Amino acid sequence: VAGKGGTGKSTIAGALALIASRAGKRVLCIDIDAKGDLAGTLGSPPVGFQPKVVQPNVSVLALQPEESLQEYLHIYFKVPRFARLTPLARVFDFIATGVPGAREMLVIGKIAFEEKRRDRDGSPAWDLIVVDAAATGHVLPQLRAARAMLELVRGGIIRSQVEWIDAILSDPRRTLLTICALPEEMPVVEALELHDRARRETRISVGACFLNRVIPVALTPKQRRVLELLGDPVHAEALGRRIGGDVLGVVEGARLAQRLHDNGLQHAKRLRAGMSAPVLEVPLQVETRPGLATTRAVAAALREAAG
Amino acid sequence: MNGEAVDLAARLDDREVIICAGSGGVGKTTISAALGIAIVASHAKRVLVLTVDPARRLATALGLESMGIEPVTVPKARLKRALGAAPKGELVAAMLDMKSTWDRLVERLAPDRQAAERIFRNPFYQGMSDAFAGSHEYMAMEALHELHTAHEYDVLIIDTPPSRNALDFLEAPTRLSDFVGARLLSWLAGPTRVGFRAMGFAAQPFMRMADRLLGSDMLEDLSVFVRDLQGLYGGVQRQAREVYRLLRAPGTAFVVVTTLEPAPFAEAEFFCSKLHEFSMPLRALVVNRVLPEHLRDTGAVAAATAMVENGKAAAVISEELGQKVGAEAVRHIGDAFLLLSRLAERDSRQVGRLGGLGRVPVARLPLIDHDISDLEGLSLMAAGLRGQGPE
Repeated sequence: VAGKGGTGKSTIAGALALIASRAGKRVLCIDIDAKGDLAGTLGSPPVGFQPKVVQPNVSVLALQPEESLQEYLHIYFKVPRFARLTPLARVFDFIATGVPGAREMLVIGKIAFEEKRRDRDGSPAWDLIVVDAAATGHVLPQLRAARAMLELVRGGIIRSQVEWIDAILSDPRRTLLTICALPEEMPVVEALELHDRARRETRISVGACFLNRVIPVALTPKQRRVLELLGDPVHAEALGRRIGGDVLGVVEGARLAQRLHDNGLQHAKRLRAGMSAPVLEVPLQVETRPGLATTRAVAAALREAAG
Repeated sequence: MNGEAVDLAARLDDREVIICAGSGGVGKTTISAALGIAIVASHAKRVLVLTVDPARRLATALGLESMGIEPVTVPKARLKRALGAAPKGELVAAMLDMKSTWDRLVERLAPDRQAAERIFRNPFYQGMSDAFAGSHEYMAMEALHELHTAHEYDVLIIDTPPSRNALDFLEAPTRLSDFVGARLLSWLAGPTRVGFRAMGFAAQPFMRMADRLLGSDMLEDLSVFVRDLQGLYGGVQRQAREVYRLLRAPGTAFVVVTTLEPAPFAEAEFFCSKLHEFSMPLRALVVNRVLPEHLRDTGAVAAATAMVENGKAAAVISEELGQKVGAEAVRHIGDAFLLLSRLAERDSRQVGRLGGLGRVPVARLPLIDHDISDLEGLSLMAAGLRGQGPE
């Protein structure tokens, strides 16, 4: 789940996890953004690198490249965990920080590793992995990392590992990119740019686009005419006395809502025109803070939007 | 919205550097441009607005449609038409170009031309700005410092890049200097492949493992790159110190931009507390997209509630208007009002917390129901920043 910062990625990711878990799937949510709060959208305090069950059938982990590296070295080279201060760990630390694609690779690699994780009986540990991606600027390097790595690394065992990671990412039956947007200019521009570049520069498929915080007050032309009639001060005043209250105030507010809706509509149109995947609308929630209640409401809206 | 109108332009016009910060999507870029207009409207200053990633319409409004990196002067005649009076100063707009800022940094700090060339050619450099998290932030700082040293403008206004956490911006200078200066670098930079062997017993198993992991070609490339980067270290450290000095200078002002939505507001609170901690000067707050006060009017809320809940409302309205109006239409209109009313109610709860952000002037700008696409729109916002806007 990717998209511009502030478009509600974490809440959408949380909602997808709730929907899948309700369908009986075992879901792992991975929070890539160190400052993100995916666990919070599922009603849990922040989590660490070890998956933590936060809802029935839903686990969350927060991905740190450093810990991912330690896990990797532990699994493949039997390097003890927490061996950070040895010169070796520092070399890899540097490589992870400095080498283009290495940090991204550790992120993508961990996700791919979880995808391949099997239970003792050989069945997949997770039916669905939902990744709350980093802001747009970092997502493409992450998605491109495997390809880029294949160009830089000409030998070594990393190459074969990167090859299977690339295979997982390129298979639309296993991996889909979804993009979050808002019905505003810049979020739509960024969503379309991410969509186009993902299609051009990576082999990952775009599965869906979530248009979040749509103002859900589309009045029909007939209803708009009623609104205009109500805006006549004579009618408004008489009605105000009969139903109680200030009808002109209502008309003014409803007109503003309508204008905001119409302005969003033109951005939504552009988004739909440029998006190869279905665009699902999520209505604006008057939430106080992101949290489980908001996530549940968004999940319900998504179920409705998807039919 | 109560509280007296503040003239932010008058409070900030004596600054040399104005940094508009806040979380993504709150309108920082638009507000930096409007602030620039507000200053040149009444002061004979040469003002540069440096934007990181402008919306297309905004870029067009400023005459930046070519999307080049050369600064563009906004024609005085156009500004005069938009403002309704001749501007006293001059407004220049420019876009930050990451790649060329990186290149200039390397050129300036590399010990010699050859070292710079080697860095440019190294495959690792190509993707470097992608790899170094926070490089956007750092490049914005770097460009700011470069422009400030050049003394071509009286006032520099910059909007910070749209990062999830505006704090990246404050920490950017040390991040780069830490990165280039990591002790590990010296460890890796020292030996060439021959050197690795000479490094003694302890290092050998590690190098063998690195070899197995990455293949020897890559290790070689990396080692050369690291050595070259190290040549930059002293310069980068000096640079980081200077950038910090500039950010704390008396001529610098931070303007935190936020909306009253819960998430951006929480970020603004966090950012203000960090500015305080870093001794960086918060000088003003801009609250953008404030919903009109009339949405919370009890009379209007009562009427809207009746339209939604009172089963007879449609009949009464049909009778008054002399035509049949469906119950659904009446309910929809009431709902449209109530939705915004609830948002206004939610936002108003944050207003009380504004004081906690710092004892600085607060400018409130009303929600605009369309995208700003011309200098006229920006000038209206500029008027709002000067405390002259219509409610």
